[in-house]
Amino acid sequence: MTEIINDVLGDPVFAICALISVMGALTVVSRRNPIHGALGLMLAFLAFAVLFIRLNATFLAAMHVLVYTGAILVLFLFVIMLLNLSREELGREYGVATKGAIALLVAVMCGLLLFAIGKDPDLARPASPIVDRVLYPGSAQELRVAEDGGAGSKPWGGVDHVGTALFGRWIFPFELVSVLIIVAILGAVVLAKRKLPPES
Amino acid sequence: MIKYIALSAVVFSIGAYGAIARRNLLIVLMSIELMLNGVNVALIAFARHYWDSLEVAGHAFVLMVMAVAAAEVGVGLALMIALFRTRKTVDAGELRELKG
Repeated sequence: MTEIINDVLGDPVFAICALISVMGALTVVSRRNPIHGALGLMLAFLAFAVLFIRLNATFLAAMHVLVYTGAILVLFLFVIMLLNLSREELGREYGVATKGAIALLVAVMCGLLLFAIGKDPDLARPASPIVDRVLYPGSAQELRVAEDGGAGSKPWGGVDHVGTALFGRWIFPFELVSVLIIVAILGAVVLAKRKLPPES
Repeated sequence: MIKYIALSAVVFSIGAYGAIARRNLLIVLMSIELMLNGVNVALIAFARHYWDSLEVAGHAFVLMVMAVAAAEVGVGLALMIALFRTRKTVDAGELRELKG
């Protein structure tokens, strides 16, 4: 336990980003006004993007900012403004007792998760540094990756690396995602145009 | 690396609380986004931890999760607009047709 705390304190970027993301997440679940929730969600997303860069996932950090902050959050804000909810239309919330019981349940689940994570000996060791490696050696997609990407190699987790893996090993799931997105577009158009039958 | 996984677990739990304990459907959708993001952090941390498999399964998986999250939000918000136009509410507790 003490080494984890020392680990966090020895990494101020992580400590600050973790604090911001947890506070943003708590804003989302605690505030009554959805606009405040959306802004808290934005804080959490931006802090996560910084953490992704710390984990050498530079391409995914850019994608995260574009997709989550740029698209999903703007969609949320559009809908919040479109609905323009008044105080009464926000609906009632559960009482303090129900919320407390659910919070206790979730806290127990979180404690169990953290306990299991702390027991794992493999996670306790620090991540080994990234050295030069060759992806798909001998094929047309051959790519040398290294941590900093100097001297003829590409950065690990950069756009070349992730792109080569995505269009090599993961090409089938990638194509399936396009089917999913087309279905979602059609579903969203059909649902938003339809008027549900009034309550009987 | 353990700290990233612990943060992921904490954010996932906060999102789970929001998805269960709130009745405003907008907030429920945002909480689900938080849960997906917590998982994304864990996936990227694992990808860095076991970096030796160069096919970056963690990164590819996170891209899939982002696509699924975007599709889910699109359909979810369309449902919410259709719902609000007929019922004038976004309160999940007032939708009781399936209760019988």
